[in-house]
Amino acid sequence: MDAVQFLQNLLNGISIGSVYAIFALGYTLVFSILGIINFAHGAVFTLGAYLTYSLAVGQFGIGGILADLQIPFQLSFPLSLLIGAILSGVAGVVVERCAFRPLRFRGADPLLALVSSLGVALVTVNVIQYLVGSEIYSFPSDVYGDIRPAFVLHFGEKLVVIRTVQIIIFAVSIVVLALLGYLISWTRIGKALRAVAENASTASLLGINVDRFILYTFFLSGFLGGMAGSLVGTSFGIAGPYFGVAYGLKGLAVIVMGGLGSIPGAVLGGMVIGLAEAFVPADYSAYKEAVAFAFLFVVLLVRPQGLLGRSQIQKV
Amino acid sequence: MALLELENLSVSYGAIQAVRSINLEVETGEIVTLIGANGAGKSTTLRAISRLLKVREGRIRFDGRDITTSSPDAVVRSGIAQSPEGRQVLALQTVQDNLELGAYVRHDRAAIREDLARMYTLFPRLEERKHQSAGTLSGGEQQMLAIARALMSRPRLLLLDEPSLGLAPLIVLEIFSIIRNLNAEGTTILLVEQNAKLAMQHSHRTYVLEAGQITFSGPSQELLSDERVLHAYLGG
Repeated sequence: MDAVQFLQNLLNGISIGSVYAIFALGYTLVFSILGIINFAHGAVFTLGAYLTYSLAVGQFGIGGILADLQIPFQLSFPLSLLIGAILSGVAGVVVERCAFRPLRFRGADPLLALVSSLGVALVTVNVIQYLVGSEIYSFPSDVYGDIRPAFVLHFGEKLVVIRTVQIIIFAVSIVVLALLGYLISWTRIGKALRAVAENASTASLLGINVDRFILYTFFLSGFLGGMAGSLVGTSFGIAGPYFGVAYGLKGLAVIVMGGLGSIPGAVLGGMVIGLAEAFVPADYSAYKEAVAFAFLFVVLLVRPQGLLGRSQIQKV
Repeated sequence: MALLELENLSVSYGAIQAVRSINLEVETGEIVTLIGANGAGKSTTLRAISRLLKVREGRIRFDGRDITTSSPDAVVRSGIAQSPEGRQVLALQTVQDNLELGAYVRHDRAAIREDLARMYTLFPRLEERKHQSAGTLSGGEQQMLAIARALMSRPRLLLLDEPSLGLAPLIVLEIFSIIRNLNAEGTTILLVEQNAKLAMQHSHRTYVLEAGQITFSGPSQELLSDERVLHAYLGG
């Protein structure tokens, strides 16, 4: 691999890695508050991608019972992305109400919530398939409006190609990360959220409504998941209702690698997995996931708590 | 009418009935002490008032309002703050953030800033450490932080659970003199203590809890010289 190829891989890796980071943060937030992995996160990722697609293209789908059903309006891509993510946040809240809250209120073992979230994930994916079919959806190339599709850097004979969509997903991810970082570190809501994550009963003694903050957390988590799904969808297409499943597993690899419950860890883990995949040669691209998980395996051998995790789990 | 009234309050931990049908009142302006052996139900009582535990039977009234089924955050908003046992500071957040979260239920920013300054006057050591994470404080400092944090909500009733636990004698005296001062400034206090003698010396009235039931109650000065209480709790 020469320097130019290296640069190309690096840029590819950073772009997709930033999306992995915001996706994985959705897991991290819920884990910080409840100490449980929300297995429905991958389904919300899928849902977000379909929602953004529908809003931007103006129709629900090309298959399923909603085939050829038109939406009477068509939104610009940024607006579709935002509304798609907000609706995904609402879906996150619904997941909390259906899969988590009833069990929590009965004092059930957290492991049961994990199973019920898996159930919600399967139902969601199947409903999506019923509604819009299992065809591959690609965002139309003019979805961003009239802008050039790629930027080409010349290095003598060699080229580095940066697709515009790669720049877009990187920029959006960074903005989302910055806003989330600000929210959690500096605002009253963020401090209260961290208090709930550290000790829910102490937080309630301070007058913090813990259940409401759990809802906020699921909204944020769903928002991040839906946004990540939409960004991956615009870049690579939506490979059917199950495409969130593979990303869901990858997201788990990211948070375990970064350190469960650690926000900087999720960001770093996302970047590492994104880069590891980008450096898999094109001929072996079918093994991308295997490489990412092998990488995770090696990291865990050296640091069982993850890259930025503390030996005692650090929350938020 | 008393500020706080517990009427036939029973609280269970699973199958174990930790508090059985107790009656307790705290008048505005008082310091009331709840003493008793380990496991007598002292902390359980405070946790039930803060609504962290379900009430099995009976009523909790605060300022005439029934709060028996209120949520924990609603209780704080109604004017009851607790400094919990074992201090329970938010170890990962700074001292200042802990204090500001203590004022979470308030929205009067200017007054919150004033109170923050007042806490730093009251507890100068907290000011020296305001940008440190609370987990790095010593036990005594964490206890001060827990009390100061509870005060930041400007409670009408302050619940203190074992403020002297695990602290050096000098610091315990310091904390009790702060409790007296707070009371002199108008805060009503319900205090749970292992250090029965000290707590009684610093309070107006005392309730003695034994196996979840109140066995004695009265003005602290009287109970301090009561043979039976003396024998059972004051090592006399």
